[in-house]
Amino acid sequence: MTDTMDITDYLAQGGRLTNPANVPSRYRAELMKIMATFVDSELAGAAGFANVINAGPGIKERIAAARIVLEKTDNADRVLRLMGEFGANTDRYANHHPWSDRLPRDTAPGTPRSAHDMRLSVLNYPLTDWADAVVMNLLMGLAVGVQLTEFLTSSYQPFAEAIREVAPREQRHTELAVEGLQKLIAQGELDAVNQAAAYWWPRVSESFGAGVSPRGEALNAMGLRSKSNADLRTEWVEVATAALKELGITHPAP
Amino acid sequence: MARFHQLSVTDVTKTIRDAVVVTLKPVNGGDFDFTQGQYLTFRQDFDGTEVRRSYSICAGKDDGVLQVGIKKVEGGAFSTWANETLAAGMTIEAMEPMGSFHTPITPDAGKTYLGFAGGSGITPVLSIMKTVLMREPLSTFTLVYANRGVNTIMFREELEDLKNLYMGRLTVIHILESDAQDIDLFTGRVDTEKCKALFEHWIDIESVDTSFICGPEPMMLGIAAALRDHGLSDDQIKFELFASAQPGRLKRKASTAESGAQAKSTEATITMDGAARSFTMDKDQSILDAALENALDAPYACKAGVCSTCKCKVLEGDVEMVANHALEDYEVAQGYVLSCQSFPISDRVVVDYDQ
Repeated sequence: MTDTMDITDYLAQGGRLTNPANVPSRYRAELMKIMATFVDSELAGAAGFANVINAGPGIKERIAAARIVLEKTDNADRVLRLMGEFGANTDRYANHHPWSDRLPRDTAPGTPRSAHDMRLSVLNYPLTDWADAVVMNLLMGLAVGVQLTEFLTSSYQPFAEAIREVAPREQRHTELAVEGLQKLIAQGELDAVNQAAAYWWPRVSESFGAGVSPRGEALNAMGLRSKSNADLRTEWVEVATAALKELGITHPAP
Repeated sequence: MARFHQLSVTDVTKTIRDAVVVTLKPVNGGDFDFTQGQYLTFRQDFDGTEVRRSYSICAGKDDGVLQVGIKKVEGGAFSTWANETLAAGMTIEAMEPMGSFHTPITPDAGKTYLGFAGGSGITPVLSIMKTVLMREPLSTFTLVYANRGVNTIMFREELEDLKNLYMGRLTVIHILESDAQDIDLFTGRVDTEKCKALFEHWIDIESVDTSFICGPEPMMLGIAAALRDHGLSDDQIKFELFASAQPGRLKRKASTAESGAQAKSTEATITMDGAARSFTMDKDQSILDAALENALDAPYACKAGVCSTCKCKVLEGDVEMVANHALEDYEVAQGYVLSCQSFPISDRVVVDYDQ
């Protein structure tokens, strides 16, 4: 049983790679980019949320916010450890960047913050208050849910497995956002919620990236991605529209 | 960051003509308390070139030893050395155990496991099998083990002993490519068709909770396809891909360094995805930035020399890497650099992202 096959064919046929020793260079690079995007987004998301813990109107809300900060940081750690197996310096990585940095609030949607981190562009915008944070958490949580389904079938098995552990926790964060919004709306904060939704909708939408990515095909062939950015965005628009409708929040202009 | 630790070799035993089981003991620390199914990465110097190879631990959690199985690969420097030269009393370097080829142990649950191993792919599967049979008294394990012939079956006797020890809980099906067996089904290759036939008559696929597969790529694809056809989901199928896919011995960097370079700019040639592009770049610009500026979709993430995403190989010329928190000495010796931290020194550089 020593017969081998070309690794490209193996991947194209749905094969899985299982450790740094058997991944080709270009695959390694693309996988590292994907993992870095995840890690940076989780770290930036956690750092942003850390600042609003005390804005929570009650103990329950503060616990929810603190839990989100804790778990997003832990999610980052799980994937960063995989990057460490490829040689990344994990201690330095966690600190090489001010993850809580944000652009001015009125910056146009889709603007990248700096060339030095790979966070999704939506995480470049500052949160203003509790209602703002909860709305962002809902819309972004739904987007993350859609994006993570891609990684559950990643051809790099250890990454797919890490995401399998991460996904239910991210899902719970989105549920916490729904609960938080129900409470805010019941307390008469619908106007603030509507305003926040109008602000965050285009910014979350932009985080899906260009509709047709020139790298898309290569990533598909490597088994690192399976759907186009445009398809993922369409999925998100569907679930997010339904979620806003259920809560009675005005749907922002697309 | 991965670090190497010293391990002393306490025993080397031949299992079949061209495979050894090496027993190891940590000398100076490192956490070698492995999880079943994990592997060790070794390094060894051959004529000035460092070679790294990963081998699965074949011991179970309760065996009380750290053991790996190493099968000799044609032309493989490390495996030949391990089979011919390595002996008790020697010291070898390895990183702490890594890998996620396992599922959590649940002592109270009666699970049904189905393992597939091809040749030396038995090593991690054996570790998992021994561990779950010992620690999950209600679980059962069926092993489908593919080999060329009877005399290439690693751990044949040990498997027989385990069958006797765990009577009724362990089933071993040997599929031999060239040696005829009493039952036709057990002769040939383990592919999608063979799996289908096995699932019809010998294995109750409906009851399987988790399947572990370790072997050559085509075999793994065939088995995985059959498992999916029979309703197993991706999280129930665990792969481990080894040896055959690993690159052979690395060639040394061809050094054509020019000295006394004067110009402020450099003629750069950068290869990525099989295509080379040449352009003139400033010496005060990093290789990565120059590549990006010239519309190459070069990989990077942190731009701070810590993540190693932008790693590439310098084939010709010299660069200065101003910071390096990720590459190890042996990689640098082979000509690898972090392109975000590397600036050309010579008047011509040739860089490759594909190697």
